[in-house]
Amino acid sequence: MTRNRKYVFYGLIFVLALAAPFLAPDYQTQLAFLWLMILFALTWDIMGGQMGYNSFGNVVFFGIGMYTTAVTQRNLYFEVEQYVSVSGLVDAVTPSQYVTGMFLGMGAGAILAVFIAFILGIGILGLRGHYFAICTLGLTIAAGETAGGIDYIGGGSGMVAPVFPLALGEKGIFFYYVLMTLAVMTFVVFQRLYSSQFGLAINAIRDDEDKAEAMGLHTTRYKAVAWCASAFFLGAAGGATGNLVGFIDPLDVAFAGSTFGVWMVLMAILGGKGTMWGPVIGAAVFHITQELFWTYLFGWQRVALGALIVIIVVFFPKGIMGFLHHHWPQLFGQTVDEASSSEREGKA
Amino acid sequence: MSKYSKFLSVLACGAVVTSLAVGPTEAKVEGDTITLGAPLSFTGKYATAGKHTKNGYDLAIAKINEAGGVKSGGKTYKLAVQYYDDESTSARTAQLVERLVKQDGIQFLLGPYGSGPTAAMAPVVEQLQVPMVEGNGASRSIFNKGYKYTFAVLSTSEQYLAETLTLAAEWAKSNGRDPASLTVALAMENDPFSQDIRAGLLDDAKKYGMKVIIDDKLPPELNDMSATLTKVKALKPDILAVSGHSKGATLVIRQYSEMQVNVPILSMTHCDSADIAKNFGDKAEYALCGAQWDPNMAYKDSLFGSARDYANTFKKTYDYDAPYQSAESSAAVQVYVDAFQRAKSLSAKDVRDALADTKMQTFYGNIDFDETGKNTAKPMVLLQVQGGKYIPVAPSKFAAAKAIIPIPTWDKR
Repeated sequence: MTRNRKYVFYGLIFVLALAAPFLAPDYQTQLAFLWLMILFALTWDIMGGQMGYNSFGNVVFFGIGMYTTAVTQRNLYFEVEQYVSVSGLVDAVTPSQYVTGMFLGMGAGAILAVFIAFILGIGILGLRGHYFAICTLGLTIAAGETAGGIDYIGGGSGMVAPVFPLALGEKGIFFYYVLMTLAVMTFVVFQRLYSSQFGLAINAIRDDEDKAEAMGLHTTRYKAVAWCASAFFLGAAGGATGNLVGFIDPLDVAFAGSTFGVWMVLMAILGGKGTMWGPVIGAAVFHITQELFWTYLFGWQRVALGALIVIIVVFFPKGIMGFLHHHWPQLFGQTVDEASSSEREGKA
Repeated sequence: MSKYSKFLSVLACGAVVTSLAVGPTEAKVEGDTITLGAPLSFTGKYATAGKHTKNGYDLAIAKINEAGGVKSGGKTYKLAVQYYDDESTSARTAQLVERLVKQDGIQFLLGPYGSGPTAAMAPVVEQLQVPMVEGNGASRSIFNKGYKYTFAVLSTSEQYLAETLTLAAEWAKSNGRDPASLTVALAMENDPFSQDIRAGLLDDAKKYGMKVIIDDKLPPELNDMSATLTKVKALKPDILAVSGHSKGATLVIRQYSEMQVNVPILSMTHCDSADIAKNFGDKAEYALCGAQWDPNMAYKDSLFGSARDYANTFKKTYDYDAPYQSAESSAAVQVYVDAFQRAKSLSAKDVRDALADTKMQTFYGNIDFDETGKNTAKPMVLLQVQGGKYIPVAPSKFAAAKAIIPIPTWDKR
């Protein structure tokens, strides 16, 4: 694509994205979740795709952001005692309190997630391959169980986010734009990162970490920064999602390793890991297919989802982007000299 | 291969295109049918209880339609219901509510199964301003946030096992012991429902001065509680209270009989949905079970007749004994019908206002909502497995037999 055509393409997508909640008003929440899925896939891909570190623990940062935001909102405007008591009645917050609490919480959640990613990163980013994957899987389980044991954040009973004030308009539209902004920010920031020296460094780590280290790259530092970048956006998105869902269960919503944690890997692989648009396309296809299965294959949705995963792995091992690249390389600016190759075949 | 992959890509594109063209919405009080909606656990950890809930809803709807339907504003309507599978996860429940209301145009919601999913659903219906009548979410976190659109026909969870400690205190007094000398062991699943039961029991234990000597949290993926039972064997508490839905009830009976744990009072929830009396025979004897409802209770209404009649109708239709999860689900539908008949119009707001004024008796119990939407008119009942049957033993108003306390030790059984 030429530069101009590229901008037109981005512009079109942006306008469509801005208009989407008004074009399909009944699907606002699902569309908001679509942005969340895109963010999930992008933040996973920086680790799993660009750097070759398959993390099953990214959902930890999502949960941390969610809880931090909910605690911030609660502690700003309510007595903790009153909030958890049997008989006490908690009144709704005002719109300005809601917005202030949520955005402050999201900021705090993102910062805390980065901090924890950094601490964890120093500890476990020295692990490679399967060891790293298993270790992050353990992190997710540990995080869910730990959160379920802390009474301050509701323990196993979970936490409830404040009720969305009616004066702020449609809840679906509000969270659509919040999550869209976060996903677009993630995309832009990651695109910048990938086109810089940082991108080359993490690609080098994926391709041959020992060689990268021998060339003088501080690999652990790069890995930690990549994980922190991923954690930042996941933390902020977690805060918004907690408010969108309204109820935070430690295992089902916040540290949902068996749903969100696995989906983020699947979506990136489906779209084509290690590419910029792959995770976006993968997330869109996965989310839409999943919603369709839930509606039209009632009771069989999980079976169908399983079949879809098998199809992805067997027929699209390099994802949709890899498939497109293989069959239509000209879309990616590569020219194939078909005439000369057939001539050559003719001569042979 | 290339043909095949082209076909596949066409298929994938097709899927995306169809998804964008998914049907429009329509209001769901159309013609002569009022459609209710519910996200329910058809799969996942609450699948069994979800089935009981669905059967309860379906039975009431079938009965009401059979009896001529709902009369509202001079018109007669039939009832229908739209379900989605929330896979027993709260995040999914919240999304499905939006789908039911916004895409399917449903204005009247029935609750999902379980406190977690209900707690996730309540803020969403509040935001969408459509009423929900639920019979399977008992957690107090649903009722202390000032929600105006959530109504629960059941007793809240901290009351589930409260009668156990009252019984224990009476037993202590009759033996010349101070109730404060009793010791309590708690083994509670780490979920909203069971943790509320724990909170209720801790409050009650404090009131009687009883000492809680074991306070274990059980994981949601519950498949072993021998660690807790070993502690019970060593510390010999007077009361062991367990809550972990159907799975917890099954597990405690199996392991406590295998390990021959002796404890004077064993109390738990979900005995009837796990049907411990049938599945474990003698081993389940003397277990106390907190229940929302029992066929022996003396309530009746014009649709089902008495509680016993409901149990008979249910057994005839589904070929198993009615668990209370089904009874409270049927009652939720009856509450809606009553509200439809009294409401000024079939708008969500008017029906909500009519629901708030509900005062009725059903086969399941009296229904009267307080300002938080919980039903304050119906007590819990405590059953005991006696002779392979669930016999109500407390409160005394409903007791059909005296509770057998203490449980004979295993060498004497």
